[in-house]
Amino acid sequence: MGSLFTALTSAGQSLLAFEQAMDVTENNVTNANSPGYADQLPQMLSQPFQTGTGLAGGVKEVTQDTRDSYADTAVQQQLSLQGMYQQLQTTLAPLQNVFDVSSSSPIPSALNQLFQSFSQWSTQPNNANYQTAVIDAAQQTATAFQQAAVQLGQIQTDATNDIQTTVTQINQDAAAVQSYNESMAQNSTPNAGLSAQLESTLENLSSLANVTVIPGNGGMVTVLLGGQTPLVEGTQVNAVSAGNDTASNAGNPGAAPNISIFDSNGNDITSQITSGSLAGLLNARNTLLPSLIGGGQQVGGLNTLAQGLADTINNALAQGTTSSAPPYQAGSPLFTYNSSSPAGIASTLAVSSTITGSQLAAASAGPPYTANGEALTLAGLDSSTPGPLDGQGFTQYFGSLVSAVGNAVNNANTGVTAQTALVAQAKSLQQQVSGVSLDEEAIRLVQLQSSYDAVGKVVTEINDTLTSLMNMIPT
Amino acid sequence: METTIEYGGDARECLQAARQRMRQVKRLLSKPSMEAADESAALLRDVEVQLGCVAAILRQNGSKPDQEFRSGVEELQDEVAVLARYFAEADKMFSGWLLAVRSRRGGYTNRGQAAPLVLVKKLSVEG
Repeated sequence: MGSLFTALTSAGQSLLAFEQAMDVTENNVTNANSPGYADQLPQMLSQPFQTGTGLAGGVKEVTQDTRDSYADTAVQQQLSLQGMYQQLQTTLAPLQNVFDVSSSSPIPSALNQLFQSFSQWSTQPNNANYQTAVIDAAQQTATAFQQAAVQLGQIQTDATNDIQTTVTQINQDAAAVQSYNESMAQNSTPNAGLSAQLESTLENLSSLANVTVIPGNGGMVTVLLGGQTPLVEGTQVNAVSAGNDTASNAGNPGAAPNISIFDSNGNDITSQITSGSLAGLLNARNTLLPSLIGGGQQVGGLNTLAQGLADTINNALAQGTTSSAPPYQAGSPLFTYNSSSPAGIASTLAVSSTITGSQLAAASAGPPYTANGEALTLAGLDSSTPGPLDGQGFTQYFGSLVSAVGNAVNNANTGVTAQTALVAQAKSLQQQVSGVSLDEEAIRLVQLQSSYDAVGKVVTEINDTLTSLMNMIPT
Repeated sequence: METTIEYGGDARECLQAARQRMRQVKRLLSKPSMEAADESAALLRDVEVQLGCVAAILRQNGSKPDQEFRSGVEELQDEVAVLARYFAEADKMFSGWLLAVRSRRGGYTNRGQAAPLVLVKKLSVEG
């Protein structure tokens, strides 16, 4: 649906551009489709009388750029939000392969296998094949966690690299704006080609980060990053950089530190980046991924699950016994992990290298002694109520992680679709308002806003109706 | 488990019609104009009517699990979520833009806010 919408929007844009190009001068026709180009209008200005030189007043032709700076700002803001959602969509998409609830997905499949093996073992606790099946299933589970941790680590590394690339692009665009300012400093006469180039650069810059553009003297522009940090001031570029926030992982030294953005003086300006692809990357890298794989301030859902699973199973085995009569011999732990690095538990989860089938404690010493008491407890762990992990079973807990990832991806998808339409909207308005009076522009905006407000209310009502409908259809 | 098809053709047709109208709305909103907004409002009202029909049919006939039908409603919900986001952001965009136009046209008030917008029709008198 999104692609159809986008395609139609693009087609509409092209038609609109073509229609407008028909009515303008040769120069405008030639440049109508150039990125960032605005029509040039001849304007007659009266010349002031120069008392010193005695020149007559008269008139002079000055070319005026019809670009509406507010319309440009609106386009840049929408591009910035679109950039953020598109980046989130791209960065989060591979997460869905790791967090998948389908039965073929490694973690749910391994968990299912593990608890089935416990169930089978509980029927014949001394059956060597069943004991081996438990160890094999545990091995499969540990491998699934390790693989998920590796995949998440790779996604995290990719996000870090993408942040560096984006910062480089921002600095390159800033250099292009500086070059424009230098040209304007040498010759302040408006130049349609340069102006179009600048606009195109600013739109690209907006899709990378939230920037504010302030027109200055002599046609030069000042670009602020995050509304506060000067990126380009006249002919000076203040390059930004990305680096590790070494203080961010004080809580979990083993975890990857957050990535921060620094201004040219080394001040941390990460919190100022609120939109653009850089904001999307920072959000994924510093917030969403640590909530799964762990970070400086949190252990991460995957590690919590791995530790919860290992501890619960090991505790149950420790409470059981391998002997059939006193003195009772406690069972050996099935899983091991590196407890000194809480953010690395999933990646170090393994089956104890020394365990053998006979060391698995199936019996419960009681009293009364039950030959398969602990095996039965283990078989029912995932479906017990309340569950062993925050009141949830392990599969259910994994499901909640999948749900969180799904919501984040869904939110990004919704954002991309809505923002794509909004960018088209802002660009269309940008073309319509070029050259119209402020009054006309204001009237159009007020009318559009009230019309949209009315339509928006209907959408809210439909949403309510749909929610009721969903409640009426049983799952 | 295989789910049974419970809902009559009418409920499905209503849902189908609602989704079709929604597609038309998205097409219309790709270009900003009051005509497009008005037409969208009319279409969305029709979406509401169609969904009302679905609800009435479900109430009358009762309902059993039907994954396909549920998926259809969920997809419509996703499309509505996109539209809701679109309108929320469009509102912000128009408000910001209007604020800029107000300050550029009338300057700022003593409190530093954009001047109120006063639009009066121009009157030209001849003779």
